[in-house]
Amino acid sequence: MFAFVESIRMALSAIWGNKLRAGLTTLGIVIGILAVTLMGTLISGLDRSFEKSMSFLGKDVLYIAKHEWFGDQEWWEVRNRPDLKAEYVEKIKSQSKYVKAAAPVAMRTADISRGKETAVGINMLGTTAEFLQTAFLNIDDGRFFTEGEDRSGARVIVIGYDVANLLFENENPIGQKVKMGHYVFRVIGVAEKQGKFLGMFNIDNRALIPFGTYQRLFSRRGWMRLDVKVDPEHIEEAKDDITAILRRLRGLHPGEKNDFAINQQDAFRQQYQTMKLAIGGTGIFITVLSLVVGGIGIMNIMFVSVKERTREIGVRKAIGATPGSIMQQFLLEALFICLFGGFVGVTLALGGSFMIDKYIFPSTMPITLAIISLVISSIVGILAGLAPSYKAARLDPIEALRYE
Amino acid sequence: MADMIKLRGVKRYYDVGGEIVRALDGVDLTIKYNEYISIMGPSGSGKSTMMNMIGCLDSPTEGTYEFEGEKVHEMDDNQLASIRNRKIGFVFQTFNLLPKLTALRNVELPLIYANVPREDRLEKAKIALEKVSLLDRMHHKPNELSGGQRQRVAIARALVTNPSIILADEPTGNLDSKSGAEIMNVLDDLYNEGNTVILVTHEAYIAEHAHRTLHILDGKIKDDVIKNKPKTKITVLKKKTPA
Ligand SMILES: Nc1ncnc2c1ncn2[C@@H]1O[C@H](COP(=O)(O)OP(=O)(O)O)[C@@H](O)[C@H]1O
Ligand SMILES: [Mg+2]
Repeated sequence: MFAFVESIRMALSAIWGNKLRAGLTTLGIVIGILAVTLMGTLISGLDRSFEKSMSFLGKDVLYIAKHEWFGDQEWWEVRNRPDLKAEYVEKIKSQSKYVKAAAPVAMRTADISRGKETAVGINMLGTTAEFLQTAFLNIDDGRFFTEGEDRSGARVIVIGYDVANLLFENENPIGQKVKMGHYVFRVIGVAEKQGKFLGMFNIDNRALIPFGTYQRLFSRRGWMRLDVKVDPEHIEEAKDDITAILRRLRGLHPGEKNDFAINQQDAFRQQYQTMKLAIGGTGIFITVLSLVVGGIGIMNIMFVSVKERTREIGVRKAIGATPGSIMQQFLLEALFICLFGGFVGVTLALGGSFMIDKYIFPSTMPITLAIISLVISSIVGILAGLAPSYKAARLDPIEALRYE
Repeated sequence: MADMIKLRGVKRYYDVGGEIVRALDGVDLTIKYNEYISIMGPSGSGKSTMMNMIGCLDSPTEGTYEFEGEKVHEMDDNQLASIRNRKIGFVFQTFNLLPKLTALRNVELPLIYANVPREDRLEKAKIALEKVSLLDRMHHKPNELSGGQRQRVAIARALVTNPSIILADEPTGNLDSKSGAEIMNVLDDLYNEGNTVILVTHEAYIAEHAHRTLHILDGKIKDDVIKNKPKTKITVLKKKTPA
């Protein structure tokens, strides 16, 4: 036990005696650990913002559109697909028992102004009251529009959090008038703050008006989507139902392909998984490469160290050091060099994750990752130290004492 | 008095590029407790090989070696390390101190491998340094000490574990005559305190200190001269016996 404590002390002082060399050899380990921790931090940050974004898309909501979100069809295969129609919503709701709610969503960009203030490039959605259910939307202030307002084409508007902030800095927007082009709308509600989708699309930068109003004031054609909330226990059955209903409405023959797409959160997930694999694969590749190179470097330096200290090893053996205690001393030395590299790597990664957090997206380095990194460095150290330590342990004491 | 060391027909051959060098070529030797032995012989005659053999740094190619009844020729590396640690104190011609450690830490080293707790280690190391009159230099590193002082630190390191035998291979070989005389005084004292001492030397006047002189030639003991009275005065006599 005392010998073990001494081994630690001797190993540390040997490293201290060769600071620069130890520091340089540890570079590979530093890079390797940096790569693995940064990658982990990145992925965990991505995971978090991805999951947050996914909460805008319900697991049990199907998004029926002309195109697949991440389809692999060529553009000419899909460009001639007919537009979706708002009438489908009622058909889908009445013909499938798995459908809980459905809302058509039409969208265009618009400028909304009030007095001198103008909110430019707002995503303006035309939808129905059931959008509240399909989009998991909460109204902070006021209310959402009603079916009646939808039918009558009332000029009412629900504005996003950022739009409200811009146009009504310190005032209550409810009941106030805003203008879109030359149409005047009455603000009836403000949506709660929702943040960005996948860190890119600002959801708070939008406004919603009744679908009926949208169709009356703007084009009847154009981009449209149907959001369908289904029974979470029967998502597949619901998809089959909807496919059948739409095929019937479109009059497709059995041999013909679907000319619409039923999208789901899963599509994003699959896409995300692929990206994650790519990041993870690259990170692991860099990590393994650096650790192997770093490990070989440390093995090399340990061989040099053993050679330089041959005489010392001889002396230690002459006064009673066992092969095991010599082995232990050199193994610890390799271990500490690597652990040091691991610490530096983790520290740098910590700095890096602060930068990512500040400038790219929210992320923190998971503590388990730091621990795993240090464990990995230790393992590399022990593996790299094995052969040189064994050589030291097996040195013949007499030869070692005669070594010049 | 029981025998401490018993070598019987000990041979140590080296294979140097196909040629066999007989460094030890059939040595029979018995050493009792509290003997003071000098080994003499021309360079290359096998003196160091013999010391290494007695000091359990080496194992015989042939023959048997018993140390306090234990069969050294059958021991593995760990057993040899242990017996070196507990029973043997080496003093080398070139001192062989660890340059980065202070005198105290150098002397402490064998006790570390003996798993002695730190407090005890420091105390014993200080006592050993006191014996060689170097307590005031305990925090000096070897390069801050003279040759004679270094060798005295080495002697302190050899005796700190209270070994059965002290082996000194040309301990004065690298020293001027004044420092050499100092070292011989220390060795004489150790013998007079009841220790067993073997020293290798080229100088007859140094060999004179011992009461028994082995003359070695070509790996064989040619002459084994035992004087009745050792040259040194016996002041204290504290016989060491095996534990
Ligand atoms: N490790 C070794 N390998 C080969 N030959 C050796 C080795 N050690 C000693 N010898 C040879 O054994 C002989 C005795 O050496 P040594 O015991 O060192 O002599 P001395 O100490 O009396 O000068 C010499 O011929 C020497 O060259
Ligand atoms: Mg010699």
